[in-house]
Amino acid sequence: MATEAVAGQAPQRISLLRVLGPAHVWALGVGIVLVGEFMGWNFSVGKGGAMGSLIACWIIGLLYTCVAMIDSEVTSTVAAAGGQYAQAKHIIGPLMAFNVGLYLVMAYTMLEAADALVVGDLLAAVAGELGHDSLHTEPFVVLTIAVLAWLNYRGVFATLTVNFVITAAAFLSIVILFVGVQPWKPGEMLQHRELLTDLPYGWIGVIAAFQFGIWYYLGIEGTCQAAEEVRSPARSLPYGTMSGIITLLIAASLTWYIASGLLPWEYLGQAATPLYDAARVTGSTYLQVFLFVGTIFSAIASANGCINDASRSWFSMGRDRYMPLWFGAVHPRYRTPYRAILFLIPIAVSFAFTGLLDQVITFSILSGLLGYTFMPINMWMFRKKWPLDTIRRGYVHPFHPLPAAVLLALCVATYFATFLGYGAQLLAMMAFYIVASLWFAFHRYKYVRRGDQFSMPWPKPRGY
Amino acid sequence: MDYWNILEYGAWAISFVLFGWMLLDAFRVNRDFEEEVLTSSREGELELVTEKHDID
Amino acid sequence: MAKYSPPKQGKAGQVFDSLFLLALVYITLFAPLVLGLTGGGTTTQTVDQPTWEALGQNEVMAKQWEHLGYTPETAAELITTRFDYTINPVALIVTAIVIIGYFVFLIRFSDKEYRQVIAERFGKDK
Repeated sequence: MATEAVAGQAPQRISLLRVLGPAHVWALGVGIVLVGEFMGWNFSVGKGGAMGSLIACWIIGLLYTCVAMIDSEVTSTVAAAGGQYAQAKHIIGPLMAFNVGLYLVMAYTMLEAADALVVGDLLAAVAGELGHDSLHTEPFVVLTIAVLAWLNYRGVFATLTVNFVITAAAFLSIVILFVGVQPWKPGEMLQHRELLTDLPYGWIGVIAAFQFGIWYYLGIEGTCQAAEEVRSPARSLPYGTMSGIITLLIAASLTWYIASGLLPWEYLGQAATPLYDAARVTGSTYLQVFLFVGTIFSAIASANGCINDASRSWFSMGRDRYMPLWFGAVHPRYRTPYRAILFLIPIAVSFAFTGLLDQVITFSILSGLLGYTFMPINMWMFRKKWPLDTIRRGYVHPFHPLPAAVLLALCVATYFATFLGYGAQLLAMMAFYIVASLWFAFHRYKYVRRGDQFSMPWPKPRGY
Repeated sequence: MDYWNILEYGAWAISFVLFGWMLLDAFRVNRDFEEEVLTSSREGELELVTEKHDID
Repeated sequence: MAKYSPPKQGKAGQVFDSLFLLALVYITLFAPLVLGLTGGGTTTQTVDQPTWEALGQNEVMAKQWEHLGYTPETAAELITTRFDYTINPVALIVTAIVIIGYFVFLIRFSDKEYRQVIAERFGKDK
């Protein structure tokens, strides 16, 4: 997520690009997503019970495997920093691209708001335990966003190392907790036998749990935004993305195993910081401190990546005049999309202030989900407009069109899952995208240059 | 007023300093540079030179 | 095909467009959230004189609740709040039409715009 901030904007730094290998791609993806194991996933327990959550985790894992396969093929060919936004522009058309750009901005901005919200809630919980009730969370929410926005503004973040280290530390804290609860001695600390219940809502609850099952992985597709910096996209992107998904599957299963063995599902289903709470219940101060640090680190790593990605998408749209051109400005010294960064701050702050973690997360999930619905359509059109023998692809995924069909079916199921319990919010989100689309189609698009939008050196698409 | 309150005020203060710095810097950049220069970047400059998409 | 040259948008227009988007976020997304129109469609049962047994919690569960700092009184609401998954067919159909209609419009309209892009980039007959 980081070095792309310089891609395409800073010609004199091109020599620094194309340095990332599969390991970097892995770290980029996992860095932004790992926070999903520390908070948010557990709302799926609330919607379908502990077992329902586990089933949702695996089925949504399949959804993301399809996402990774499809995205790897398109990205290894459309190697532009805009990620899915650039893909939509070249394959489907401007209005779709505008929407995809907005999905990215909203998904990442809401994730950033959720991250900051969790930092505030966690500090309030710790303060409460140390004897200070009712800590105001607002100053810490603002501070989190202020510091990270400032880092992104200055472009210091371009050193990915910081994020690598804190992500690794956060991952380590999950492993430490797993070892700490002595999984080889069931019944000692972990009480699955006593705590696991039947499906509280039956099978419809399992489907309802798909909604937050997305949260275990949301953002892994961001790896594809690094396409421009990867040494050999054909090899690195599929490897990096797939290994990222496998890592997350393992981390998600560990997380589920620990939390469901320590916390009653009714508590787990609404907790703000489930892993920290799990550590608290073990009674070990060390574990508690580790998980405090892990939760904070993962939230910061994620929010950091989110600010970068969201502002970068907004910037790309400004540059193409999809948004006011003013946002397409690059800071002359720091080479960052500084106006886009500033513009998105108030949105993130105000949503974080609501304190409604599950709903803020739902906005992020829905924007992600709309983006996944776009992918199978994109894939079909890509193969139709440029069949395999017309342009060289870095990577060709097998079994087309099966992954696309599975992905589309799982997306439909997840819309239904969101409808169950969060139907009003689903409609609010759709209202937002529909009004924005009308605005773009009938007002904004007149400022856009037509032919310039197609910047790839490709032959003319079939059928046009 | 315990140390948590002090932390709260500290967090507000640091946030305002950072936001203030960013706004001031953005203002200065807007003043010192032409809009044309700031918005001169283009998409896809890179892959034109490094990618080959035609099948030989 | 003649190259389309877009009008240049002035400062005021840019500011207006930015404010429009900001307003859109706050009206369609933020307002329903803070007004409490969205969120978990749940129902809560009230239990008189809650005990762990009355709330359906076994001994181990009760112990974990207590570790977390809850008593039967404070935990009662968390435990008895349930999602309401009864499906309102009208709402379901409306939602489905909105989502499908949205995507159909997106793809249709995008294609119309895309043809212009391709025509300008590659020329009409090639």
